[in-house]
Amino acid sequence: MPTDTKRVRGPEVSQSPSLFLCKPAAVFPSHGARADGRQRDQVDVRPVFVRCGLVSQAKGSAYIEAGNTKLMCCVYGPKETERKDETDMKCGKLTTDMRFAPFSCLERGSWIQGSQDKDLSLMLHESLQPAVCLHKYPRSQIEVNVMVLENSGSVLAHAVTCASLALADAGIEMYDLVLGCSIRQDGASYVVDPSYMEENSCSSVGSKNQGGLTVAFLPSLNQISGLQSDGEMTEETLTAGVRTCIEGCYKLYPVIQQALAKAVRRAAPPPSES
Amino acid sequence: MPLITIVCHGLEDDLRVDGRGCEDYRHMEIETDVVSNTDGSAKVTLGHTAVLVGIKADIGKPRPMVPNEGYLEFFVDCSANATPEFEGRGGEELGTELSNTLYKVFNNKHSVDLKGLCISAGEHCWVLYVDVLLLQCDGNLYDAISVAIKAALFNTKIPRVHISADEEGGKEIELSDDPYDCMRLNVENVPCIVTLCKVGHRHVVDATLQEKACSVASLIISVTHKGTVTCTRKVGGGSLDPESIFEMTKAGKRVGKALHAPLMKLLQQEESLGKTRQKVGFLG
Repeated sequence: MPTDTKRVRGPEVSQSPSLFLCKPAAVFPSHGARADGRQRDQVDVRPVFVRCGLVSQAKGSAYIEAGNTKLMCCVYGPKETERKDETDMKCGKLTTDMRFAPFSCLERGSWIQGSQDKDLSLMLHESLQPAVCLHKYPRSQIEVNVMVLENSGSVLAHAVTCASLALADAGIEMYDLVLGCSIRQDGASYVVDPSYMEENSCSSVGSKNQGGLTVAFLPSLNQISGLQSDGEMTEETLTAGVRTCIEGCYKLYPVIQQALAKAVRRAAPPPSES
Repeated sequence: MPLITIVCHGLEDDLRVDGRGCEDYRHMEIETDVVSNTDGSAKVTLGHTAVLVGIKADIGKPRPMVPNEGYLEFFVDCSANATPEFEGRGGEELGTELSNTLYKVFNNKHSVDLKGLCISAGEHCWVLYVDVLLLQCDGNLYDAISVAIKAALFNTKIPRVHISADEEGGKEIELSDDPYDCMRLNVENVPCIVTLCKVGHRHVVDATLQEKACSVASLIISVTHKGTVTCTRKVGGGSLDPESIFEMTKAGKRVGKALHAPLMKLLQQEESLGKTRQKVGFLG
């Protein structure tokens, strides 16, 4: 087969140019201040901006911004279940779907749901299910769709918070709001609400206690509805990490409550005192 | 009396329906080297749950971010053989959940020596394809799968390769002629998964399907022989009290740590029998 010797064709599989850079992978020090000025070993979560009721077509929606992480969630339902054969007559069904926009991460992702997306959707489902009063919506389906616009760390934790806000905005009955918080353990110190760089930095020393932990928590009921960890940690570190995440959720609670109250007031302004 | 009441009341007295204690496993049978076409295989039967793991080693290109390491790929197949619920695409969701959890369990530096799987940095490395097949499903899949993977990795024999430069300056890979000249993996640090189901106020290890139906949520925790936790995950549609989670983590670590020593002894014993070993196979 005659080959084209006049043109230089690039590789068939395109790769991001950042892979070919010569600079070594950034090693984040395990002591000292964090890149964005927050403290280590303290429950220092990023300031959060939340707003409800952005999408007019959806029953309920919410948008959350924490540092550079931006997510939005839409809730549709309760509507009649499409597949009648699987309907549980006594309680409703909650479906969750979490997707990443292709431009959200450093490397371009694809629109087709990869296994990581499916995994996160499943964890989101497990975190939200205990909070929603599904027995009040028999033969119905509630759809929760989360779209990650920019991934700058602790995406699952913020997705849980955003989704529960959207559910509340849609008027779905719940036992409590579900808040998410994550930490990254790096040797002897931890960072709460890690950014993307902090989550993916490979530590130079093969020390023990390296890993990430995400917790979904119902504050007023004091129940954990979702827990996920990976990496390598001792059991004591894990326990301490869970306590730290719970503290982080408590810190976030008043902000989320205020945003929800504001949205409700905007939608139905109180009768003016006359 | 509804089943859940019977099960919960029994647990208050540390008694389960089949007479076990809260932290006892069912009878477990492990056999390695059951499939001859693979580089390593193992079959584990835990009560009525049966799992078959086959490992094949292929030469591939290392991942761009870690050019001097090999990697593992997991795939769990829930076929309709195991239970009628898996007919058609029913088992796909469970299969994805199981394989994603396995990726998380092995996502650390010490479980498997990935640098040992490298042949030439940036160009060639060993990729271990770990394929898990569920033969029979009677609860507690995670535990059975993790024990089977550990046994199969112990049994894996990776052929030794030599890299030589050929005339044009390219690299050529040669497999050694001796079929017994192979590399074995160190499975000391491979973790085992322990599933703890919360039933009533107590937690149980190795729950049967009956006990699982009575529980609202379970915690899976993967523990190495040193007691390091590599992955935890809460599964199920219920919520757990933080205190229960701490209790279950402690219990899981205790049970998981105690699982490794007898398992390694058994695997080494089986290996030492060599050719004199009686193969049980699938019908025993």
